[in-house]
Amino acid sequence: MVSIIGSSFIKVDRYYELSEKDMVIEAFKQLIIKLKELPPIDTIIVSSGYIDIISKSLLSALKLSEGLGFRNCNVMRIENGDNGAASLLTAYSLVKSQISKAVMIIGVDKFADYPSKYINDVIAYNLDNETEYQYGLTPHVYAALMAKRYLKTRRLDYDYLAEWPLLMHEYASENPYAYLKFKVDRKTIMESQVVAEPLRLFDIAARADGASIVLVASDDIANKYSDAPVKIEKIVSSSHKVDIISPSLPAVKEAFNKLNMKLNGNTLYDVHDSYSILAALEIEALKLANDSKPFENIRAFEINLSGGLKARGYPGGATAIYQLAEAYMQLTNTFPGRKSSAENSLILSADDLGNSVYITVLRR
Amino acid sequence: MKISPSQNWRLKDSLYRLALTKCKRCGNVSYPYKPICNNCGSLDVEKIYSKGYGTLIEYTISYQVREGFEKQQPLVVGLIKLDEGAIIVAPIADADGDIKEGARVEAVLRKIRSDSSNGLIQYGIKFKVINNDSNG
Repeated sequence: MVSIIGSSFIKVDRYYELSEKDMVIEAFKQLIIKLKELPPIDTIIVSSGYIDIISKSLLSALKLSEGLGFRNCNVMRIENGDNGAASLLTAYSLVKSQISKAVMIIGVDKFADYPSKYINDVIAYNLDNETEYQYGLTPHVYAALMAKRYLKTRRLDYDYLAEWPLLMHEYASENPYAYLKFKVDRKTIMESQVVAEPLRLFDIAARADGASIVLVASDDIANKYSDAPVKIEKIVSSSHKVDIISPSLPAVKEAFNKLNMKLNGNTLYDVHDSYSILAALEIEALKLANDSKPFENIRAFEINLSGGLKARGYPGGATAIYQLAEAYMQLTNTFPGRKSSAENSLILSADDLGNSVYITVLRR
Repeated sequence: MKISPSQNWRLKDSLYRLALTKCKRCGNVSYPYKPICNNCGSLDVEKIYSKGYGTLIEYTISYQVREGFEKQQPLVVGLIKLDEGAIIVAPIADADGDIKEGARVEAVLRKIRSDSSNGLIQYGIKFKVINNDSNG
């Protein structure tokens, strides 16, 4: 069995006074305060999508682990764009195969150091570098095309997409760690700036700085160092280009089919809502709602109680580590925002557009 | 240096000539050309060149552009089905007014961006509307 035995993070925000290393140290301090005793960590995995490009820093796993005072560890950075769950699969595999006993996953990314037009350029590195990037495109354009096709093929008006930011900001208003900790009304969403039509400002997750930590451990370590380990029940993955013409996320559908498990008890869901349209398509692919109106009964199940990427904030490659850390806190009744009494948590982690997907199931 | 001359030279078939992969096994046609089919994995493919005509499936107007593309703001981007069957997402040049779904488009060679510090200019394919009638 492989378990999560601890988690911590800093509020997603703009940290002009802190470097990535400073942010990680702050998250680590929170972890130390929470744990009675730190287990002997033998592997440190850094999940960061952009640290090399934005902060001009390679060997980041070495630098960050040294900065935390760790020596003689396996250290590595895993880059998978905004999809940090690749780090969890690696940690899980290392512990399951008994190569490691205790793995610390550090999620970190920083966007506030540069203006948005530069960040837009960096985020566009996620596109095909031989064609799409060369044409000056951005991921926003692809999300916009998907949203436009989606609304058209389902005969929906734009205000349908507004359901998502409306709910996410409501949840975020209760989360002290949320970047955009405020409620919004429908009118504000509907009249916000058009970024790439039909997408408005409130349809796009707010990228900001973040650092989060999750400890993954074997049974013997979990039993010795934790009163409340949360079991990693299963982790599955798929990769498949999104369908823009008939908007859908084949990778999510494939990963969900691979999961092939019945979740007993209530389940808390967390999806990668980089765009409102992604949330809609992910909810459809997870079969949480019918295919034509996924937001229709959005309050009938528990999803993204932190406020999601939309309002809790979108810290790049650290995002999945935030999702895991928050789910761990929910399942151990320590989450400070909107609470869930669910027995399970299903976490859908993805890259910015949903081409690369991981689904993780945690259980109390 | 933001623009690499060697990279542009290497990509000339994709960026200037719309080279496509046509799979002899599954019939899939895709852009850009690669010596393997991205649909079925077959190596039995041929390189064909698009005649440069297609149909607009959808488009968006982007008001947030990347560094180096400020003068092109707002950027009109189309989702296009080339007559050969491949799908491409590319900028629409000279777009004014409402573009209709189903409009016919033609590939044109245009300036993409420049690297002011080195005097390099990158060119590439954009599309322009040649018939804005949704029936083509």
